[in-house]
Amino acid sequence: MNYHDDDLDRALAALPLEEPPAQLHARIMAATVHRPAPLVRSWELWLVGTFVALAAWLTWLLVSAPHAMERLVSTVTGTLDSTGFTSEYTVMWMAVGISAAWWISQLSVPRSRRTVRTK
Amino acid sequence: MGAALAVDPPLAAPVVDDQALIAATLAGRGDAFGELVTRYERAVYHLAVRTLHDRTEAEDATQEAFFKAYRALNTFRPGAKFSTWIFTICYRSCCDRLTKRKRLSGDELPDRADPSAGPEALAERSDEAQRLRAAIDELPEKYRTVITLYHLQGKQYEEIATVLNLPLGTVKTHLFRAKEQLRKVLSV
Repeated sequence: MNYHDDDLDRALAALPLEEPPAQLHARIMAATVHRPAPLVRSWELWLVGTFVALAAWLTWLLVSAPHAMERLVSTVTGTLDSTGFTSEYTVMWMAVGISAAWWISQLSVPRSRRTVRTK
Repeated sequence: MGAALAVDPPLAAPVVDDQALIAATLAGRGDAFGELVTRYERAVYHLAVRTLHDRTEAEDATQEAFFKAYRALNTFRPGAKFSTWIFTICYRSCCDRLTKRKRLSGDELPDRADPSAGPEALAERSDEAQRLRAAIDELPEKYRTVITLYHLQGKQYEEIATVLNLPLGTVKTHLFRAKEQLRKVLSV
């Protein structure tokens, strides 16, 4: 049989497509739409990793430096003293402020007396 | 005044175009992507089978193509054809697999066609579709892919050129030669 261009086009058009396996649709959907979101995103992992590395490096610096802990403690105490955080008045007013804030947060606002009329 | 529906209405059954389905998917409608998969999975799978000559690998390539498309759906250019896009992704995935296969085998690849597609088997096949399919399988890879896309997309040469990342002239030449070889084989 001699095949002409039109014959070939007709035969190609009539050629059935390969039948995909029955579970392919479900597999695709499971890999895309129904794929559970990852618990931790990769950028979050990188961020936490960077912080941990930084913290480890700083700790190592502190531990390895001579008299580092004593110097750190004296610096922190000096800063607290100079800013007045160790003064008993500051501590008292901070306690009052925190108590007031907590007390206000516990208050419940009464409901409006306005009612919605229903037919 | 009627209350707004809390539940999304089902997608209108017959003619929702691909662009609307993509927009709905991006808006969080998983069923819209499901509809896109239903529309194109067969064609994508067909392209993968014809290119890779391995049904298991073709299945994986099809899944990979849809997975990549889903992840990159927000980069899909409005106005472009989804079919061309998904075929391009699938074809690239198949090319990667073929390259990997070549690397593993170390030498020129024997096509992993099904064993029944040899010349003897070809002669035995009486049915026209089977003969044609076997003849396509016998074509060199570059011609086979062009003829497969021609089969899938019709006479949209520019779309075929986009998928294969080839100049339009090359696509037409490949198609001409592929048809010539097919005619030769089928006329025997």
